[in-house]
Amino acid sequence: MTNDAATARRTMSKLERHNTLIAYSFLAPNFIGFVVFTLIPVIFSFVLAFMDWGGGENVTFVGLDNFRYIFKDFSFTRSNLGIALKNTVFYTLMTVPLTLVSAMALALVLNKAVKGANFFRAVFFFPYVASLVAICVCWNFLLMKNGPINQMLNAIGFNMTKSWTSSRDLAIWAIIIVSVWRNAGYYMVMYLAGLQGVPAELYEAATMDGANGWQKFTKVTLPMLTPTTFFCSIMMIISCFKIYDVVAIMTQGGPGRSTKMLVTYIFELSFGGEGIATSAQYGVASAVSMVLLAIVLLVTFVQFRGEKKWVNYM
Amino acid sequence: MKKLVAVLLSVMLLAVSACAMAQTTLTVAGWDTATTPYYAAIKAGYEAANPDVTIEWVDLASQDYNIKASTMLSGGDTTDLYCVKELSDLQNWSKEGLVVPMDERIAAESYDMTKYAGMDACYVSLADGKQYALPFRADYWVMFYNKDLFDQAGVAYPTNDWTWEEYAAIAREITEKTGAYGTHYHTWTSCVANWAVCDGVNTLADGEYSDLKYFYELYQALEDDGVCMSYDELKASGMHYSGAFAQGNVAMMPMGYWYASTLMGYIKDGTASMNWGIAAVPHLESVPAGSSFGSPTGIAISASSENQDEAWKFAAWMCSEEGAKVIAETGTRPAYVSDAVAAVMASAEGFPTDETTKAALLPTAIALEWPIGDGVNEIKTAVNEEHTLIMTRELTIDEGIAEMEARAAEFLTK
Repeated sequence: MTNDAATARRTMSKLERHNTLIAYSFLAPNFIGFVVFTLIPVIFSFVLAFMDWGGGENVTFVGLDNFRYIFKDFSFTRSNLGIALKNTVFYTLMTVPLTLVSAMALALVLNKAVKGANFFRAVFFFPYVASLVAICVCWNFLLMKNGPINQMLNAIGFNMTKSWTSSRDLAIWAIIIVSVWRNAGYYMVMYLAGLQGVPAELYEAATMDGANGWQKFTKVTLPMLTPTTFFCSIMMIISCFKIYDVVAIMTQGGPGRSTKMLVTYIFELSFGGEGIATSAQYGVASAVSMVLLAIVLLVTFVQFRGEKKWVNYM
Repeated sequence: MKKLVAVLLSVMLLAVSACAMAQTTLTVAGWDTATTPYYAAIKAGYEAANPDVTIEWVDLASQDYNIKASTMLSGGDTTDLYCVKELSDLQNWSKEGLVVPMDERIAAESYDMTKYAGMDACYVSLADGKQYALPFRADYWVMFYNKDLFDQAGVAYPTNDWTWEEYAAIAREITEKTGAYGTHYHTWTSCVANWAVCDGVNTLADGEYSDLKYFYELYQALEDDGVCMSYDELKASGMHYSGAFAQGNVAMMPMGYWYASTLMGYIKDGTASMNWGIAAVPHLESVPAGSSFGSPTGIAISASSENQDEAWKFAAWMCSEEGAKVIAETGTRPAYVSDAVAAVMASAEGFPTDETTKAALLPTAIALEWPIGDGVNEIKTAVNEEHTLIMTRELTIDEGIAEMEARAAEFLTK
């Protein structure tokens, strides 16, 4: 009897081991990819932030010199890091709420049984799957000096004399508009899923209590959507801080430094800009990446701390 | 049976490696090697002279070349040779020990270094004073012009000793008489600002930029009068200079000599049809006529190459008179220039045959587009950024120049 039990345990553990191995072997491809292409580079970058390295054999430990270099004469109007930080924060602060509002508005409209709702859902989702380069080039034409958008604005009394991407004040807005337009469709899908999860009883109860449409929206829909909003805002803030592609295609950080972002600056430090040789200051570039990482971590941490205050889970 | 397979396999391996020993394959990194004619010409020329060597170009995209080549070198890729696009990249590669010095081989073969008009000097490492690359191309800036538009306007073709005032007047006249653009400025900083370095004294990294004012004013006056396309629209539309000139509605375009082979290609394949010519770039009264600026393109041997001797032989050939003639036949200007090479350049198929163009092949002086040295990259970034602000009129010329000077000063004092 005891013998049997022991055998059973052994076979169980054999089975378990077998199952675990199978699980690991399924996990391995992805995990190896993650380790090789994400984890090791992240650790490497962290180490590099304290090193002077130009890509060759000479690596020297320089302590905090790289951080001293980027924080030297720090100012939001003059130093590269300050300007990149200011631009990135401004871009994030504008893009996140605008995208959330547009995504929610689209979702609310398309959640109703509108005729052709599926067609419109596909239409609004399309920018997200379309080629980014094509999108940016099209928007560059739309926002050109004598482009359609400027002509419309001129017709209603504005005085637009430049392409948006040629103006220090408007260039960043060009980036924001493209980002919002591109991402709204994606987050609309999130909100549509969120709206499906709102129980119809809540609306019925609200109607019985005499709530009007606006009250139903603010007292039922909005609170019930807070988990979606929480998720979307975290995802978006992180991706906004990492903005690079749209800038690289539309403005290359210009005119001047008006659209230089943190990642643009990191790229410039390590690989150079348009017509500029590689600076190969990988240490300094890694130091800027650490600043970026710290900011993203901090913002996400604060958001999770605030989660309990405003997010309703049923 | 197993033994037999093993024996067979090892015999096959031996045979393969014996073949490899007889035939060396040199891999050479370059940019746009598939579309730029001289790469194929070099390959054909060298393989004809050295049947035991095969040249294989590693094609990297032009705009990513610096990044890609640097990454490959740091990563220990076995590509044997690398074309050098940016001077400061070579400085960095040599400092990091990614490329090998050539001094001993140059001394051993008494290799002729006198025919590069001094362009070899920028491949001397600032760190250890050794020669890390040889130049095979040396492009300097010239004025391309569309003879058809000049004829249509009844204006005499440019000469090689014209001044910037004369150039501006001609551009205006052509626009007035034909409605075409008198001239074309691409969006690069060099198209406006670099004329100030033609005197061979000023550089764009010296931290003093009042000498650029004349050229910015000249440009803005032409832009205001519609004589050239506006910077704003060129930048927003991302228009490429090669297409802008090839369309045939631009009378003149200052551009690097490399455009000659592109244009010859366009005319050959029917993309463009026009009569064109080359003149020296205009000069300031105080600077000798025929002064220009430019940059060499070089070839360096990777420290990771397993064929060091063969790689050197190829580099040495590519940068010699023989290699120069092969390059010149494709309409590209080699770094090695002798009368024989100039004759080949002028006889390239589709190359203009007028005397002005021929004379423009031998410039008086070529200043470096950008000097080499510590902090130059940072200054270049700053100058480029402020340049965009002047060109978009976000800053006045004086404000922009003051900004350039203030920002360059940060890196000069280091």
